[in-house]
Amino acid sequence: MWREWKIEWMKVQRRGIGLLVFLFWGVTALWSTWVLHGVPKSQLEDGFRMMIFQLPLMDTILMPTMLAMTASRLCDMEVKGNTLKLLCTMERKEHIFDIKLLTGVCYLTLFVVMQMGMMVVQGALYGFVGSLQPRQFFFFFLQIYVVSVGILLLQVILSFSFENQILPLAAGLFGSFMGLFSWFFPKGFLKKCILWSYYSDLCFMINDWDREAGTVTYYDAPFDFLSLGILLIIVAAGYVAGKKYFLRKEL
Amino acid sequence: MKYLVETNSLCKQYGNKFSVKNLNLKVRPGCVYGFLGPNGAGKSTTMKMLLGLVKPTLGEIQIFGKEIREKNRMEILRATGSLIESPSYYGHLSGRENLQIVQTLKGAEQKEIDEVLSIVRMEGQQKKKVRDYSLGMKQRLGLAAALLGRPKLLLLDEPTNGLDPAGIQKMRELISDLPKHYGITVIVSSHLLSEIDQMAEDVGIIDKGRMIYQGSLRKLHDKAKGSIHIHVMNPAAAISVLREQKEDYEQNGKVLIVPEREDIRLAELIARLAGKGAQITRVVEQQKSLEDIFLKLTGKQVSL
Repeated sequence: MWREWKIEWMKVQRRGIGLLVFLFWGVTALWSTWVLHGVPKSQLEDGFRMMIFQLPLMDTILMPTMLAMTASRLCDMEVKGNTLKLLCTMERKEHIFDIKLLTGVCYLTLFVVMQMGMMVVQGALYGFVGSLQPRQFFFFFLQIYVVSVGILLLQVILSFSFENQILPLAAGLFGSFMGLFSWFFPKGFLKKCILWSYYSDLCFMINDWDREAGTVTYYDAPFDFLSLGILLIIVAAGYVAGKKYFLRKEL
Repeated sequence: MKYLVETNSLCKQYGNKFSVKNLNLKVRPGCVYGFLGPNGAGKSTTMKMLLGLVKPTLGEIQIFGKEIREKNRMEILRATGSLIESPSYYGHLSGRENLQIVQTLKGAEQKEIDEVLSIVRMEGQQKKKVRDYSLGMKQRLGLAAALLGRPKLLLLDEPTNGLDPAGIQKMRELISDLPKHYGITVIVSSHLLSEIDQMAEDVGIIDKGRMIYQGSLRKLHDKAKGSIHIHVMNPAAAISVLREQKEDYEQNGKVLIVPEREDIRLAELIARLAGKGAQITRVVEQQKSLEDIFLKLTGKQVSL
């Protein structure tokens, strides 16, 4: 498997996936900086809570598209180059699927780590009071990471299934819209049925907008472990089903 | 080991239709085996089954004397190379980088890349991105990739598809040389009879998923021996002579068709026919081509 892993990184050179991840991170960096600029200094003290609320919202919009593009860049070189027939005579088909997913997860990890780093840097620059609690840091990571892995898995399956990558990319855009609308859905069954809505479902910050004072106050809410559990089951089931489908598909 | 590749009652069924039915392929070591058949005959499906890319519905496959199973598939395939349908490549990488990927996956030595590039005569284009290659160059790169790891068996599915005449000639020469120079057994499929005729020693003809001829190409050529057409004015007299001589013949109006023979035996027959009043007007030798044989076997016109 190590050999296949090494090969995968040889294959992704000049695919521009790192640049893609960096560009999307740049968009979130600019967007969050613009948001912070418009916030009164008094509210910036609670900046970490605000960022933990705002960043998942931005990720809901940007991440499905970024993950669709990443999966497409990873998989379409195999589909378009007709290479699966060749690879399957040299490596196990299940390894091809796992390594594609794992490579995508590496880029995703890079993005999430860069985003968390950005939060810390912005905290220092804008004078957020106090430090980010490890508990908040960890839950934020779980919230973004697990949902994104699920979306990436779906996108890898779609990108392997279609020669024309427009469909997987359209699925990514559809996901962005669904995820955004889901922020307005009430917490309940509907949210649990839509993969992209877990960004909002797992959100552990509540905001209270005081219309008269024009201020927003953020509060910690308990982390929804039930939703996380359901999501993990969905991702695990999706992985088993997706891999089975990929393995059964004749070349 | 008598055969390097052997299949027993190999079948592949899609829905109600058999793409390959009861195929018994037998490939001798060290030869170029031409796998011939019209488009859609089941050649590619058979080759994919040999490589484990398609799961057979029934039957068994033996390569290098070992029955292919999921457990030992990779181990057996490590000693094979393949080029199935269109060439496989990463367009954003150079030819050499593409070969490096295959070389690493096969666990071959780095220096083999230069060797295979030289075999396919592509040393000059190795640094160019593959998306800028012509189809012929992509096919040659595919062959180079298949040759990495010094395979004992090479499976080439229609390797000259889409090539220009010069490219076809180059590819044919390369394939024909492989058993002689490198000891590689080659299975090459084509729907072009003339192509197989130029490259192969053994041939398997497949039609509608069934093997309709398998054996040496020389024997097939023997089958293609011609016939003698004797035009006569008096067929009744001629037929009585042929029956008397216990000759195999066919009658087509005033033309009697007998098998080709040595000149002396033909002269004797003509003298007898003339003596019995058959009134011979013409004696014509008709040569049967390989295409006629193919047509007779498959009922389809073959591409030339």
